[in-house]
Amino acid sequence: MLAQDFMSFHEASKRNGVILSFGGDLSESVLFSLGEVLKLRMQQDDTDASVAKRVFSIFVEQAQNIIRYSADKVVPAEKPAARWISGGMIAVGTEGGRFFVVCGNEVGQGEVTGLRERLDHITALSSEELKRFYREKLRQPPDEGSLGGSIGLIEIARRASAPVEYDFQTINADRSLFCLKAYI
Amino acid sequence: MNRIQLPGTDRSPEVDFDFASGRFVLRGESYPEDAAAFFGPLLQSLRSYLSASDAAPITFEVGLAYFNSSSAKALMNLFMPLEDAAADGRPVIVRWLYADGDDTIEEAGEDFAADFDHACFEMVKEARV
Repeated sequence: MLAQDFMSFHEASKRNGVILSFGGDLSESVLFSLGEVLKLRMQQDDTDASVAKRVFSIFVEQAQNIIRYSADKVVPAEKPAARWISGGMIAVGTEGGRFFVVCGNEVGQGEVTGLRERLDHITALSSEELKRFYREKLRQPPDEGSLGGSIGLIEIARRASAPVEYDFQTINADRSLFCLKAYI
Repeated sequence: MNRIQLPGTDRSPEVDFDFASGRFVLRGESYPEDAAAFFGPLLQSLRSYLSASDAAPITFEVGLAYFNSSSAKALMNLFMPLEDAAADGRPVIVRWLYADGDDTIEEAGEDFAADFDHACFEMVKEARV
């Protein structure tokens, strides 16, 4: 029964081309270790250096988004950022010869509309417009409620080779699951 | 001001802020656990150095193989007072080091260069390690 239960998880990972996946409590030190493994794996597979850098960059931004913005926080935000722990999921894999990085975390219902609007805006921009928007944001003070300068999502969109995909699924009255997938 | 020297780690750059000689260096990888905690004191010391010291020339060297978006924000925060100082007539050179063939870092340098009108922004290609 035990192996049978996990076989479905194992098979689903294989079927979806997953080379690395993590679900649960994520911290900066977990991010670092997963990132090291990811870099090593891409090196061993002779991944093009520029592609590997973009995959790594998107991985870091997605993982840090979970740590900072997941509504499922294990260590409260009053502690220093280096000690935050937040629940979420992140996976890296290949699909049709392209890498993908996908993440998911819970967000408060109140944040869904704003986040959707920001992503609608970002995904509609051309690469030149993304570059301009990124530079504009770099020069501005961070948005309300944003910790990293609110440019992580733009960075993900810039490094991706196709518009990022995103979706929301209601969990209950207070929370939704937010998912984001980028192809490289 | 006391020189700030921090060894590089796997995820934070080597720092050498030598106020006496006006030479500042950031080198390595930059995606620190807490970008605000890492860069905040550096930005503060740069600002007080710029306001307290005479108009001695400054060379600010950045050689990062990778930096995350929080570090990009921090770099911009360091660059803005440097550009302001240059606008006030202080000789400021920013040297952006990138490995030959590293298009991502080269392009990031060109993006930052566009925000400088008064400081001299030099793109420095280095041999691939």
